[in-house]
Amino acid sequence: MRAEFWGVRGSIPVADRAMARHGGNTACVQVELEDHVSVVLDAGSGIRALGQRMAGGPAPIHILLTHLHLDHINGLLFFAPLFDPGAEVTVWGPPSLRGPLRRRLARYLSAPLSPVEIRDLPAKVRFRVAPSEPFRVGGARVQCRLVNHRGPTLGYRITEGDSVLCYLPDHEPALGQPLHSGPAEWISGLGLARDADLLIHDGQYTEDEYRLTRGWGHSALGDAVDFAARAGSRRLHLFHHDPSHDDAALDLMRIEATERWIEAGGDRASLALAAEGTSVGL
Amino acid sequence: MGAEAEFRGMPLELILARNLISIISIAAFLTDADGDVIFYNDGAAQILGQRFEETGRLTRDQWDAIGPVTDAGEPMREVHLPLTTALRENRPAHDRCNIRGDHGDVVCVETSALPLIGPEGFAGAIVVFWPSRDGPG
Repeated sequence: MRAEFWGVRGSIPVADRAMARHGGNTACVQVELEDHVSVVLDAGSGIRALGQRMAGGPAPIHILLTHLHLDHINGLLFFAPLFDPGAEVTVWGPPSLRGPLRRRLARYLSAPLSPVEIRDLPAKVRFRVAPSEPFRVGGARVQCRLVNHRGPTLGYRITEGDSVLCYLPDHEPALGQPLHSGPAEWISGLGLARDADLLIHDGQYTEDEYRLTRGWGHSALGDAVDFAARAGSRRLHLFHHDPSHDDAALDLMRIEATERWIEAGGDRASLALAAEGTSVGL
Repeated sequence: MGAEAEFRGMPLELILARNLISIISIAAFLTDADGDVIFYNDGAAQILGQRFEETGRLTRDQWDAIGPVTDAGEPMREVHLPLTTALRENRPAHDRCNIRGDHGDVVCVETSALPLIGPEGFAGAIVVFWPSRDGPG
């Protein structure tokens, strides 16, 4: 299994040169499975470039949406395979009391927000609520749970053979919970991340910023590290970089996070701040 | 806790509910979908006379021993608490009744139960209660 980062920002895409090294596209991670089935985690603006590489490919595509905030779906309209009549795309998403997934996505993929209506997408597209029981995508086993973020939000755990990837891009597990000592079953997302080979987790805020953004559904750097350590995750990629954090700021955050990771027993080389254009083999 | 149980964890609705009632002053407890009390706050502990850390999870049978009770403190098995309505009928309910409080004293309380129904269905219930100014309903 290999994870490739096509978009690592949160909230809104950015284009500043000072942010180019980590990248400015919003959330999108491609997971390459051994059977070449394509799994795409979230459809932020980063999915546009991914779609260009995928265009014309034969394999079915599965897009696993964690939630429907714009920064995680704003790339759908620009995802080339959706406009290929020969493509088969399944879009998975969170359950909601507000109706079927297709209808919820149609709020974006319809006038006046979109020049294209969801019903007019040329590809063979299916919209499915991700079940609470494990399901298979190609040769991988996918598990998901609702996690602590504003609105129905899923975390995903993808298992292929002995490799486990956990994706929690928008997550605030520390809200109301002591991550060090709280009972494991009360910590949002912990089961999904347990012993993951790679945990991709929300690390949007510095500690100072988090004092003002507590309850927004995102994590302070330290909490993300503590969560990963508590879960026994082997590698941690911090994700959902704040649009105001340039590369220099992210470098400082990486240093701070690494120190905390080492204190928690982690290895220096196994923590990174996710960067667009990089990939990780599991 | 088994691996599967640890993986699933508590439903998010219960995690968020516990976060809320742990910091509010009104007495409250939280049940899972089976009706077991899985948490109660300090306000509830003051009325009951024991902290959650001392009792841990309370099964239906254990909770039945707390209430409802007669003025003399005898169990009233034929009477349903609002929690029962929330669990069985998944709708809010309110009533007034006696419970066995601190040191076994009989306390008359107002109690409201709110079912927690999320995108994945019924997860449990929040129950708030406070000392009643009147006698049992």
